Amino acid sequence: MSGAGTLDDDLRERLAKAEAALEALRRGEVDLVIGVDAPLVVRFRHLVEENERLAREWQTTFDALNDAVLILDADQRVIRCNKAAERAFGRTAETMIGRPCWERVHGTSEPIPDCLMRRAVNSLKRETLEMRLTDRWYRVTLDPILEANHRFVGAVHVMHDITDRKNAHEERVKLQEQLQQAQKLESVGRLAGGVAHDFNNLLIIILGYGEMVLNKLHPQDPMRHWVKEMLGAANRAAGLTRQLLAFSRKQTLQPVVLNLNDVLRNLEKMLRRLIGEDVSLEMLLAEDLARVVVDPGQIEQVIMNLAVNARDAMPQGGTLLMETANVVLNDAYASSHPGVTPGAYVRLAITDTGCGMSKEIMARIFEPFFTTKERGKGTGLGLSTVYGIVKQSGGHIFVYSEPQRGTTFTIYLPATEAEAQPVPANPGEVRTVGHGEHILVVEDDQSLRKMMVGLLSELGYKVTPAANAGEALLLVEEVGLNPDLIITDVVMPTMSGKQLIDRLQRTRPDLKVLYMSGYTDNAIVHYGILDPGTPFIQKPFTRDALGMKIRELLDTDRAEPLCGAPRTP
Amino acid sequence: MTRHAHSVQNVQADSPKPRYRLRLFIAGDEPNSTKAKAMLARLCDAYLRGDCQVRIVDVLQDYQTAIEYQVMVVPTLIVEWPPPVRSILGSLTDEDAVLAALGLMKEGNEP
Repeated sequence: MSGAGTLDDDLRERLAKAEAALEALRRGEVDLVIGVDAPLVVRFRHLVEENERLAREWQTTFDALNDAVLILDADQRVIRCNKAAERAFGRTAETMIGRPCWERVHGTSEPIPDCLMRRAVNSLKRETLEMRLTDRWYRVTLDPILEANHRFVGAVHVMHDITDRKNAHEERVKLQEQLQQAQKLESVGRLAGGVAHDFNNLLIIILGYGEMVLNKLHPQDPMRHWVKEMLGAANRAAGLTRQLLAFSRKQTLQPVVLNLNDVLRNLEKMLRRLIGEDVSLEMLLAEDLARVVVDPGQIEQVIMNLAVNARDAMPQGGTLLMETANVVLNDAYASSHPGVTPGAYVRLAITDTGCGMSKEIMARIFEPFFTTKERGKGTGLGLSTVYGIVKQSGGHIFVYSEPQRGTTFTIYLPATEAEAQPVPANPGEVRTVGHGEHILVVEDDQSLRKMMVGLLSELGYKVTPAANAGEALLLVEEVGLNPDLIITDVVMPTMSGKQLIDRLQRTRPDLKVLYMSGYTDNAIVHYGILDPGTPFIQKPFTRDALGMKIRELLDTDRAEPLCGAPRTP
Repeated sequence: MTRHAHSVQNVQADSPKPRYRLRLFIAGDEPNSTKAKAMLARLCDAYLRGDCQVRIVDVLQDYQTAIEYQVMVVPTLIVEWPPPVRSILGSLTDEDAVLAALGLMKEGNEP
């Protein structure tokens, strides 16, 4: 018994010693542990230091990771997290460790429906998803930590910041959409332009002969009323084709250097009448506004169309704000807006406080015949015309809108260093009849040519027709024809009207010329913009308009060149 | 007579038959061992007033003694006399525990 008692005591003592040794170890007050069975000395401190070094090294590496890493236990509680995670969640490690991940990651009181951990518990393999946290995007990867028997004991939750990639992707998609939109408008424009061109030529014939008929009829003839109705309809049709041509950027522009502020000030009165009393008009015009090169009539139409659009968006009244500013569009802006060349621009922003529009509508507003207005209220060509004019003037137009908040149309026109030209006053009463002066008409369309000959003869001129530039050259240079005026189409096969006149004016600098055109072809688009001051008449034209234009030219002294934009009535 | 930590070595008692016989197992100048030596020197000075014999065993030089004394961890202080034999493990930072093992209590703590 006593032996057993001694053994007990001995064991108890050994146990107490072992516990004391363990306690000292726990307190970190031990330098060495001595093996009992062998004369072995373990350098305990070195072990501790090595352990600490490894732990430090691990933590440093862990913190060096740019990805936010959470190590979770099987109950989804955070065991560890690195510095990137502290940054991503805006919390210190202390406030995250021990808390459920859903609470810290998603701020919810229970796991989210698409919880990666729940998926990984079943699949026992990597699970991923993309998620947005505050203003950043992350690709989240969850790798399960499995024991040898495939028991799920936790997971490594890694969040890789993909905001830049995501933004770049969204930017690409946006650019792609913008490009597609522009291409769509381009192709619709080509189609519309082609139709309008052919249609225009038919209208000139209808209008020309119609006016000749009207002229021949007795003032009391009851048929005058019918012919007038017919001509009115043809004129309205001509208005439509003009808008289509404007949209398809195929109308002939007569640009001048001007200050947009002057245009806006001149239009102010008319705009106030146009928008009505319920809508207040505000103008914030920049001082020292740079000048732009635009067709004054066309830019006026742009402003008027946008004003009408704004008015219609504010049936209950509101504010229409027109602002101008000098801006520089930099490379960054250009790269995010297809088609924009960096440089100095004049910005015209037209903002209404109306009903605004959805993204879907915004994507289509420049399409011809697209309208949200009631049937019969709008043609759907107003904004298409605006788009075409701005584009053909080398500018850009963007729209920003929020439903129930309002809409802003922003137009950028390239700024110019050139001096502004005075806009010529409207000519007074000009006579339209001729006195037997000789006119050479160069027109490749046979019906049109025939109509022109009839119309000009009717007006009192001697007319010689030529079917093309070659024929005209032959008549002048070989036959010795010496006309007082040449009226030529701008666009003709083989040799254009401009080439013909350039050649003839080399030997006859005083030769008077009047260009006429309905559109410009893409292939010779540079003829689309005539030099400022070039006498020009837009097809289709009326008998009176043509007559006035001819008299204006024939009665003007060569020494005093025509300037400004001859406009079609 | 004042002893400083760095001067504590095998200390022979002032009297021929000292009241305390202590054996401190250390490992060179490892931090816990250095601390234990300093603590022991201070306690000897303050409470034992030189009436003690201290033997320092550096197990890096002599581990055989450590095995004989069944020392498991270093530093370990063994109070060999007066009986019973007691061991205090660690760097002796807990002064009260050391005094209790020596059968002494700090002033004020004495019941």
